Amino acid sequence: MSRLPSYYKCLAKQSRIAHLNAFISLADGASVISTTPDTHGSFSGKSIAIKDNICTSDLPTTAGSGILKDFISPYDATVVRRLQDAGAVIMGKTNMDEFGMGSHSMHSYFGPVKQLGRGEEGISAGGSSGGSAVAVKSGYCDVALGTDTGGSVRLPAAYTGIVGFKPSYGLLSRWGVIAYANSLDTVGILANSVDMVRQTFNLLNKYDPQDPTSLVPSTRSRLRTPKSAETPLRIGIPLEYNVSTLKPAIRDAWICALRLLQSKGHTLHSVSLPATRHALSAYYILAPAEASSNLAKYDGVRYGSRAEGIDGTPQSVLFAKTRGEGFGPEVRRRILLGTFSLSAQAIDNYFIQAQKIRRLVQQDFDNAFSAPNPLVSSTSPSVSNSSGVDVLLCPTAPTLPQLISNIENQDSVSETMSDVFTVPASLAGLPAISIPISIREDHNDPDLSKAGVEQTAGMQIIGQYGDDRLVLDVASQLEVRQRVKI
Amino acid sequence: MLAHPFRTALAAFSNRPYICQSCLCRVKPQLLASRHPVIKITSRALQTQDNAPNKDNAPFRKSLKDAAKQKRKQERENAGASKKSQKGKDTRLEKWELTVGIEIHAELNTARKLFSSATTSVNELPNTHVALFDAAFPGSQPHFQIETLIPALRSALALSCNIQQKSTFDRKHYFYQDQPAGYQITQYYEPFARDGHITLYPHDFPSGVSPEGGPVTIGIRQIQIEQDTAKTVLQPPSTYLLDFNRVSHPLIEIITLPHIHNASTAAACVRKIQGILKAVNAVTAGMEMGGLRADVNVSVRERNAQAGVAGLSYYGVSGLGQRTEIKNLASVKAVEEAIIAERDRQIGLLESGGVVEGETRGWTIGSKTTKRLRGKEGEIDYRYMPDPDIAPIIVGNDVVEHLRETLPMLSDDYIQKLVSKEYGLTSKDASTLLLLDDGDRLDYYFDVVENLRSTFSGTRDVLSRVGKVAGNWVLMELGGLFKNEEWSSSRVPSDALAAIIAHLLRKQITGRTAKLLLSMKFEGDARLVEHIIIDDDMILRPLSRQEYTALAEKVLEGKPDMVRDIVENQQHQKLKWFVGQMMARSAEGTVEPGAAEATLRELLQLPPLEQK
Repeated sequence: MSRLPSYYKCLAKQSRIAHLNAFISLADGASVISTTPDTHGSFSGKSIAIKDNICTSDLPTTAGSGILKDFISPYDATVVRRLQDAGAVIMGKTNMDEFGMGSHSMHSYFGPVKQLGRGEEGISAGGSSGGSAVAVKSGYCDVALGTDTGGSVRLPAAYTGIVGFKPSYGLLSRWGVIAYANSLDTVGILANSVDMVRQTFNLLNKYDPQDPTSLVPSTRSRLRTPKSAETPLRIGIPLEYNVSTLKPAIRDAWICALRLLQSKGHTLHSVSLPATRHALSAYYILAPAEASSNLAKYDGVRYGSRAEGIDGTPQSVLFAKTRGEGFGPEVRRRILLGTFSLSAQAIDNYFIQAQKIRRLVQQDFDNAFSAPNPLVSSTSPSVSNSSGVDVLLCPTAPTLPQLISNIENQDSVSETMSDVFTVPASLAGLPAISIPISIREDHNDPDLSKAGVEQTAGMQIIGQYGDDRLVLDVASQLEVRQRVKI
Repeated sequence: MLAHPFRTALAAFSNRPYICQSCLCRVKPQLLASRHPVIKITSRALQTQDNAPNKDNAPFRKSLKDAAKQKRKQERENAGASKKSQKGKDTRLEKWELTVGIEIHAELNTARKLFSSATTSVNELPNTHVALFDAAFPGSQPHFQIETLIPALRSALALSCNIQQKSTFDRKHYFYQDQPAGYQITQYYEPFARDGHITLYPHDFPSGVSPEGGPVTIGIRQIQIEQDTAKTVLQPPSTYLLDFNRVSHPLIEIITLPHIHNASTAAACVRKIQGILKAVNAVTAGMEMGGLRADVNVSVRERNAQAGVAGLSYYGVSGLGQRTEIKNLASVKAVEEAIIAERDRQIGLLESGGVVEGETRGWTIGSKTTKRLRGKEGEIDYRYMPDPDIAPIIVGNDVVEHLRETLPMLSDDYIQKLVSKEYGLTSKDASTLLLLDDGDRLDYYFDVVENLRSTFSGTRDVLSRVGKVAGNWVLMELGGLFKNEEWSSSRVPSDALAAIIAHLLRKQITGRTAKLLLSMKFEGDARLVEHIIIDDDMILRPLSRQEYTALAEKVLEGKPDMVRDIVENQQHQKLKWFVGQMMARSAEGTVEPGAAEATLRELLQLPPLEQK
C-alpha cells in the first residue's frame, strides 16, 4: 500500500490527546487496523469521529449521560451507516455536554472536554460537540460528526478554530440521533477545511425514509440551484448582531471578513432582523420543553442504568430515583424548565409565545433574503426580493473561548449567552457554517496566548433554507482569501 | 399532501380485510427480535414497594363470574330490604337528574402498529412484535402507518362525524412503566373527526323500550387516534413483567357529549357504538376481550333548580353539576353499574349537604360503590405538546367519499330493512337477530330467506311470508335448540332449515313434523331433509273430509261439557284442546291443525277461522 491510511497516524496520537478528554469511547486499535478499508468507497481510509449521541452498534452510545453510561445501541444511525458504507473508519465516540445541553462541553458524565494548548490551564472547546471539535483540531480524525440544536457544532468550531457546518434542517438523516429538541436537532459536520465538510455533506445529503422529518425527494427537487459564489453576491450584515458585548477582537475579525468578501466583488448591505432580540429566550423555552418530553423515555426499564436498590413507592412511579440519579444537574434543570413551560398553567405564556417568536425569526430571515423560502412559498418560485441578500455574515459567538476555570464560576444564564448568534439560524432551520478568521495580533487574548492556543474568531455564514451549497461556496472563498492574505 | 399515497393504500385495502397477509410478508419489519438477535431485552425485574397498580389485571371472565356470585349473594341477603330502598331511590331520581358523557377506547383492526411497521398481535409470545420505536429506543423515530387511518375513518363516518381535512399528533405525558416513551401519542389539539352523533332507538335497548320514551340522539364531540400501552403482568409478590407487543397498537378514542341521562342509555350507547365499530370492521375484539374500554363522566343536578343558578358547562352543554370521572370500565355491564353507583353516591352526598369533588374514581366489578383514585390536586398535568417528528395528516375529500360509499350497512340500516315489508320482522326480532352471535345469526337468516325465495320464486303469496316464517324458525325454534350451546351455523345448515320450512309452507308436512325434523338435524342426522321425510314416512297424507268429520265428531262426543262451554259460553280457545286430541288420536303427519279446527268449527257452527 503506497499511502498509509490516515487512521494509522491518528492511532499514534491516541495517548497524546488523552488528557483532553475528547472521547468517551475509542475504537479498539487492533480492530481498526484489521478492517480492510474498502478502497473503492469515496471515503476509503478516512477517519471519522462520531459525537456520542449518534447511535453506533460497535461502540457504546452514552450521549454523555450517566443514565446511558453502558448503553450499546442495537442499530447504527443512518449517517454512520452511510459513512461506513463509503469506506470511512470510525475512530471513536466523542465527549459532549449531556444530551447536547451546554455550550462548553463541561456537563458530561465523563468529565469536561479541554482544547489543545500548552499550559496547565484548560480552555473551553465550546459545546455541546466539543469532543468532536477537539478530535478534528488535534488531527485525530479527518472529519467529525456533531449535532447542532442551537449552535452546538458552530460554537465549538469557532472556539477551536476549525470549520463547523449545520446544514438546513431535514437534509441529513436524524434516524439514530438521540433527540434533545427534535424540531431543532441537526446533524452537523466538523473538519479542518471547507472542502472536507463539503465532501461529507455531499455523501450524507440524501433522503432517508427512516427519518420522518427527512426532506422527501419531491421537496428536495424543489430546492433551487443556488447562485454561484463566482458571480457578485449581496452579503448581508445583520445589525442586531453588533451587540455592545461583542469583543473588539471579534468585531475586528468580522470587518476583516467583510472586506475579504468585498474584495472578491461581492457587495455589502446592512440588514435588520428585529426578532433576533427574542430568539435566545424563545430557544431556551422551546428546547427544554422538547427535551423534557424527549428525555421522558430514560427510566432504566428497557435499557440504561438504574438506581441501586428499591425504586418506586406507592406514591411515585417505578423510576423516580433512577431518573434523579441518572441525569446530571444541567439536564435536570432543563427538564424541570421544560416541564414547567408545557404545564397547563404556563403553556400559553411560554411555549406558545416562544413558538410565535420562532415564526417571527423565520419571517425576519425570509424578508432579508432575496431567495424565497422554498418550504413556505408555493410551488412556483415567487419573485425574488431584489433588495434582499444572498447570505448573511456575522460572528459565530460574541467572545473568544474562555478558561475553564472562569466558566466553572459562571451561572447557567451567562453560559447560554454564547449561543446568542447561533440560535436564530437553528430556530429557522437555515444552513449556517462557522469558519475561523485570524484575529489581529494586538487583539490577542493574554490568557489564550499563555495557553498557546491559536487565536481565531468564528465567522458565521447563514443562507436561505436549502442554499447549503452557496453557504459552503462563500465559506470556501473566505477560507482561500484568508490564506492568500496570510 | 398525503392524499396520494393514501389512495394507493386504499386501492389495496378497500375490498379486503385490513390484515393483509401478503403485505405482511413483503416487508421486513424492523423487529428487535428478528433483525437484531444480539440485543435482547433482558428481563428486568422492577423492585417496588407498591403492591398492586391501580389497574385491573384479573382476567375478565373471572371478574364476571365473581361479580355474578357476589350479586346473587347480595340479592339473597337483601331480598326484603332492597325493595324499600329501591322505592326511596326512585323519588330521589325525580328530584335529581343524572348526566353522563362517555369516552370509549377501541383497538383498531390494523395489520401494523400506529408508528412502526411491526405487526399487531394478540396473545403472541411476549415482546416479539416490537420495533425500536415501540420500545422507545434512543434515536428511533415514528413511522406513521397510513393504512391505520382506514378503519379509523370508517368508524368516524359510521358515527356521522365530520372528517377533518387536517389533523395532528400530540404527546400526552405521564410516567408509568407501561408507557415506554414517557408519553402517549394522541390527537389533542386537532383530532381527525369531530361533531358526530349516534341515535338510540327503542330496539337498541334490551327491554325494547328507551327510558326516554323515544329515540335518543347523543352527540359525539370528537374521535382521535392514539397509541395503546404495554401490558403489565404481575408476578407475585412484587415483580412486574412488561409485554410490549401491545405498545402502539392503534386505538381510537370516541368522546360523547354529556347528552346521556340514564345508566341504561349509557350502556345502550356503548353497546351500539361497539356494534357499529364491528359492523364497519374497524375493531378487532369486543369489549369483553379487552379490545374496548370506557371512561365515564358522571354528574347530577337538581331538576327544578332555579334558572340563573349557574352550573358548569362542557363543549356547549351548560348547567351541569360537578362531574367525576370513572376510569377503565371493561364491559357494558360495568358501565351501567358504575354509573348507577356513582349517581347514587353523588345524590346521597348532595342530599346530606355535601359537595361533589371533581376527581377520578375507579370501579371494580361486583362492588357497590366507586372508589376514589385521585382528587383534583392529584390530577396529572399531561403537558400536551405537538409531536415535532410527525407531520400533520391531510385527508383528501376523495378518500372520504370513497370510504363513505363503500361503508358496510350499519345496524340501523339492517333493522330498517328487516322490519320493512320485504322481511316483515318485528323490530324486537330484528334487533335480536342483529345482536346474536356477532351477526352470524343474521347472515344465517339471510341465507335461509334467500334459499326460500328461490324455491318459491313463482308463488307470490308464499313469497311475502317467507321472511317472517324464517325469522320465527331461526329465532324461536332453532334458538330454543341452541339455548345452552354455542351457536354454529353448520349444525343445521341453512339449506336444510330452508328445506324443512319449504315442506311446511307447501303443507307437505305438519308443524310438529317440521320441529321433529329440525331437532333430528340438530342432533346430527346426516341425511337430506327430503330423505328423512321419505325414509321415516313423514309426509302429510291428508285425511278426507269424511275422515276429518268422523274424527271430530268422536272427540266432541267425549267431552260434552266442553262443547257447551264453547258454544254457549263462547270459550272458543277450548277448541285448541280438541284440535290436539284429533292430532293425538291419528297417525303422525296426517292431521293438519288448521284443517282440524276448521272441521270442528263447522260441526259446532262457529264462525270460520280468520286467516292470519
